[in-house]
Amino acid sequence: MVRRARGPPSRILYGVIELQHLTKRYGGTLAVDDLSFKVEPGHVTGFLGPNGAGKSTTMRLILGLDAPTSGRALVNGRAYTSLRRPMREVGALLDASAVHGGRSAYNHLLSLALTNDIGAARVAEVLAQVGLAGVARKRVGGFSLGMKQRLGIASALLGDPGVLMFDEPVNGLDPDGVRWIRDLMRSLAAEGRTVLLSSHLMSEMALTAERILIVGRGRLIAEATVAELTSRYPSLEDAYMALTAGSVQYGAAR
Amino acid sequence: MKAAVSSEWLKLRSVASTYHTLGTAALTVLLGVGWTLYVSALADERGSLRAAAPEQGFLPLVQISLAVLGVLAVTSEYATGTIRPSLAAVPRRGTLLLAKAGIVGLTTFTAATTILLLTYSVSRLLASGHNLGFNTTPLADDLPSLLASSLSATALALVGLGLGTAIRSTAGGIVSVVALLFVLPGIANYLPSPWNTRVATLLLPNIVPQIVGARLSSRLGDGFLPPWAALAVLCAYPVIALAVGYVLLKRRDA
Amino acid sequence: MSVLTSEWLKIRSIRSTSLIIGLSLSAVLLGFGLAVMAAGMYDSAPVDRRPSARISDLEEVVVIVPQLCMGILGTLAMTSEYVTGLIRTSLTIVPRRWPLLGAKAAVVVAAALVIGPTVVFGTYFLSRWVLGDRFSGAYTVAFLDRLPVLATVSLTVPVFALLGLGLGALLRSTPAAISITVGLVYVIPIIIGNIPEPWSERLGSLMIAALPRQITGDGNANSVYGSLLPPVAAAAVLVAYAALPLLVAAWLLRRRDV
Repeated sequence: MVRRARGPPSRILYGVIELQHLTKRYGGTLAVDDLSFKVEPGHVTGFLGPNGAGKSTTMRLILGLDAPTSGRALVNGRAYTSLRRPMREVGALLDASAVHGGRSAYNHLLSLALTNDIGAARVAEVLAQVGLAGVARKRVGGFSLGMKQRLGIASALLGDPGVLMFDEPVNGLDPDGVRWIRDLMRSLAAEGRTVLLSSHLMSEMALTAERILIVGRGRLIAEATVAELTSRYPSLEDAYMALTAGSVQYGAAR
Repeated sequence: MKAAVSSEWLKLRSVASTYHTLGTAALTVLLGVGWTLYVSALADERGSLRAAAPEQGFLPLVQISLAVLGVLAVTSEYATGTIRPSLAAVPRRGTLLLAKAGIVGLTTFTAATTILLLTYSVSRLLASGHNLGFNTTPLADDLPSLLASSLSATALALVGLGLGTAIRSTAGGIVSVVALLFVLPGIANYLPSPWNTRVATLLLPNIVPQIVGARLSSRLGDGFLPPWAALAVLCAYPVIALAVGYVLLKRRDA
Repeated sequence: MSVLTSEWLKIRSIRSTSLIIGLSLSAVLLGFGLAVMAAGMYDSAPVDRRPSARISDLEEVVVIVPQLCMGILGTLAMTSEYVTGLIRTSLTIVPRRWPLLGAKAAVVVAAALVIGPTVVFGTYFLSRWVLGDRFSGAYTVAFLDRLPVLATVSLTVPVFALLGLGLGALLRSTPAAISITVGLVYVIPIIIGNIPEPWSERLGSLMIAALPRQITGDGNANSVYGSLLPPVAAAAVLVAYAALPLLVAAWLLRRRDV
């Protein structure tokens, strides 16, 4: 099952995510509050925070799905919505269950690929890469959560983008799958890509990520390397607990 | 745009609901056969009789089935959550809606025209030798009415797409096209004269007769619109619905 | 009892429930508007033409709104669980499947039993008040004489709620169930209107809208609907509309995997 991302990419994968005073308000709740940070290429950046801290909202804002109340989210210096073939620059997995259960995995991916002039050959390639080649023609409705996660990761990889975002990709995966994700994330970053990864599994994050961003109540709480955090605290988990104490609230959950 | 269109075409082809709605619309051909056999048998008994043409009698079935297809083309994306990956792949929301409109329009126009022409031809073949009232005019005279009928089904499907985009709910979308096609005309019928005809003249089911210069019904009499104006009103329906859908899609968070 | 409370909570929390109920009740305003308009038309008509002026029973015109709305509420009560996958949780909590369907049926019928009569009787009394003795006294007929028709017309609203629920449970798809409900109410009557006799009347007698006046023995003159059924048969057909899809659904719900 364990597959490595394919050999050295032919084009420059350099990519940056940059938030400038990003703010999003839903009615009376501030989901994202004046958030500014930069995610750089070459390593996996862990995106941590309690439920409702604004991680998913931030990712939606980066993808232009939600409009910021103020501030900007830029990918490679541009707003996502201004990209002509966005999947070739940014790949994202937000919600693995966002698939039409009646469609086959192949058709689901191909319908996304076609919008960005990505060919059927590439669809077959990513299906093989995530280990779904054998069930490519099966209805997605019959997939397990783990298979849906793999399908979601495949959709993020379709455009061979320099910037990748994954929201809780480990959910529902078996131990084999968890290790596969870890290796995949690290190899994508090693190829020079920018990888933003959110997860609640601290031990897993400590193994995968090099830099950590922690948010709470929509604000940036900490930005550090895993090494820095684990030198100051007994473990990444202890660092997380200490830093987010007082930030656990669900007001911004959506 | 071309890329988005080919993606939408794949999306439409790869779900079962498309075939269910098209199949339901195509029932018209079978119903038309049964109809013609039945009235032909009656005509044998009674000498001759005046019956409604099957492609007109069963038009509401074609209209509502294709309207549901139009609604589902967008509301199924909201129901399953695929609207987010779709909008991440095509961040220009106008492009996405326009691509959907193009595919829904072409598909429903082709389907409606095929179904109505088939119903027309089969029923005229079966009815040859009988005088059923509807089978005395040559095809050239009936062609405008057939075309106007399939245009009305197309318009309704696009209205469904526009309102489905605005409402984001399958139930809501279907109810709104049902309201336009059945409920409002039903109520307009009961308005005191002359308001019944004044209101009814603008309602979808009464547009087709006005395009070909026919009477609305024995109760409502003649409509007020000359053919070109009726055609303009028919086009205004989808244009307005899609415009409303576009404005809301553009302004709202996905 | 707890199943019932839980279903009541679930129905209330469907996003569109308040909208559906509001829409249903707005039918009274629609009836009122039609009555006011009709009264205005009547008064501005020349005196010699007034005796020939006719008006339809407005409560029967507007009842299609709550009928359709409650049908949809019934459908959503079931299909919204399938869309969200909640049905698995629901059936884990209430593993016996019939009580679940029964509780849903009770809740939507209760809602429809409030809304149906409110719309029908509300429209009736408002129209009576607005129209007075206009239109040859169509609305001055003694209330007790009109009561049987008004009551049976109100009862078609819960029938639609159960029909919608049954179709929703049977088909497990919102668009399919709503389309069939719409087909029964709107598409088939239009088609029947075009069929030559005798089938027009035969099929027309079986339509839901044709049943109340056959149950009360008044008959459906001047409409596409027929009047061939005796009262008991008409009542049985009305019950069948509500019960048949629900019974098939109950049987299937037990046999099918979720």
